[in-house]
Amino acid sequence: MRRGLRDVALALIVVIVVGGLAMIVAGANPLDGFGQLLDGALGNPSEIAETLVQTTALLFPALGIAFAFRAGLFNIGAEGQLILGGMAAGIIGVAVPLPALLAIPLTLAAGALAGGVWGGIAGFFRARFGANEVIATLMLNVIALLLATYLIGGPFKQAGATASETASLPAAAQLPGIFPDSRLTLAFPIAILLALLLRWVFTRTVFGYELRAAGEAPEAARRAGVNLARTAFVAMAGSGAIAGLGGATIVMGMLHRFNTGLSPGYGFIGIAVALVGNLDPLGICVASFAFGILQSGAIAMQAMANVPRDVISIVEGLVIVVLAGRRVVAARRNA
Amino acid sequence: MIAAALAILVLMLVKATPLIYAALGGVLSERSGVVNIGLEGGLVAGAFTSVVISGASGNPVLGACAGVLAGALLAAILAFAATRFGVDQIVAGTGLNFVALGGAAYGLVVIFHQPGASREVPSLGTTGSWVLVALAFALAALEWVFLFRTPWGLRVRACGENPRAAETAGVDALRTRFWAVVTGGAIASLGGVYLSLGELDLYSDGMTAGRGYIALAAVIFGRWNPIGATGASLFFGFFAALQYTLQRSGVPSELMQALPYLAALVALAGFAGRVRAPAADGVPFVR
Repeated sequence: MRRGLRDVALALIVVIVVGGLAMIVAGANPLDGFGQLLDGALGNPSEIAETLVQTTALLFPALGIAFAFRAGLFNIGAEGQLILGGMAAGIIGVAVPLPALLAIPLTLAAGALAGGVWGGIAGFFRARFGANEVIATLMLNVIALLLATYLIGGPFKQAGATASETASLPAAAQLPGIFPDSRLTLAFPIAILLALLLRWVFTRTVFGYELRAAGEAPEAARRAGVNLARTAFVAMAGSGAIAGLGGATIVMGMLHRFNTGLSPGYGFIGIAVALVGNLDPLGICVASFAFGILQSGAIAMQAMANVPRDVISIVEGLVIVVLAGRRVVAARRNA
Repeated sequence: MIAAALAILVLMLVKATPLIYAALGGVLSERSGVVNIGLEGGLVAGAFTSVVISGASGNPVLGACAGVLAGALLAAILAFAATRFGVDQIVAGTGLNFVALGGAAYGLVVIFHQPGASREVPSLGTTGSWVLVALAFALAALEWVFLFRTPWGLRVRACGENPRAAETAGVDALRTRFWAVVTGGAIASLGGVYLSLGELDLYSDGMTAGRGYIALAAVIFGRWNPIGATGASLFFGFFAALQYTLQRSGVPSELMQALPYLAALVALAGFAGRVRAPAADGVPFVR
């Protein structure tokens, strides 16, 4: 717990010091810059709703990454899993006309399945051949984007769609909104419920215990009868399914269609979120909200305080660098 | 026919050169035991900084030198974190890519007052760019000799295989790793310099286009050997060049683009013969 607090403090220092310096260099007053950032993210109810939309978009990949991290595996491929999950949701949502009660679960499941398959490939390579999952997921990220571009522009090209987009989702496959005049939908409570479920799995189930054992003391776990290969596969497939589900909610709740550029790097920022959240689902909820503020406030900061919003990328990257020394991460098994 | 073949070969060299630099940087770093996921960031640092300095001084060679320095500095962050704090190198490298990409986008606004791309600056020209192509091959040979035919190279490789044993034999493993990563970053950034001042005369957002990741694939496919990595880069460069020719033939260009990554996956899974990383590659060493 104290370790977690220290990490949060460290992340905050990076945000304030580096972000502030970058604002000064850009010729802006940091107080004004941070003020506009917060105001743009939390200034009124609809801005708060948009911040929660960004929170949700980050929460899914971050939870997925934490799921794999627990087992000592580094899923750097959440971005690709999220994109393919979104693509599957976009294709299935448009192609299968069903009432909402069936269309929504089916479309969500399609996203989770696509992401799960993509994560599962890396898990299979890891389990079967001992292939390093980091490099594998890194490669799979690029392949995912190329595959989505190819499928959407070629075999699955739909009437009324441009080269990089699917057609618009029918209303039945869209997630219902839960706040007027915003993009906040059922995706948000689903993400929170998922976090609670994962917390229960991590702390209260034998499976969660085996995941952690495989991550922190693989040799001991193996001797105690944990099947490491199977755990690696399940961890990566599950991780991918969670990220893919996130991609589906972006398509079904935010954009109402799949677009190959649907993610501004949620899968990568999710790494920072998972680390700041101490790999604990509840901590990750809080961290997602903090990063959601950065994401949604950045545009206001750029427009009102004249600070390039890329400052946020620099800050997020540095948070990842300073938190890379975490114990759980360092215990990662080497391929 | 001959002219067309020649055109593809030339294009292959052009496409392969930045990959060779980045891959050579990756090989040096990983041979010492530090995985550098931040190669993409190194390319960005080199490409962007060289354009800024070339624009400010009017001297592209000075710009190129500044680009190399920037690549070395960025790698120094990773090297410092990896050797001093024993952080997870992969997580840190991922963060560095974010920093470099965000930093360049930020720099475009602050320095050139326009998002997206810089203004045009004095470039290295045709001669300069071919010098960089030739230098890539020379460096590959040099790095091979260094790693496999000199005592310093032996020490670097020892740190990548078993840093504890290396330390017992009197090698300062942390210092060796630090300088291998920094030098690797400097070499990788030359690929970025080639992209911005060699092929073109400006920096634009996303111009590195994931070449740092292809280079990681080339490192694996080339079995952590400078010559092998150069060969892999040429192989990938060949397919990148072919893409333009095949565009009209109906082969999906995405498939051609995906080829390096698919090849790396195949190599990782061990389908292409035994591929073995340095034993202590990516393992933090704490004294």
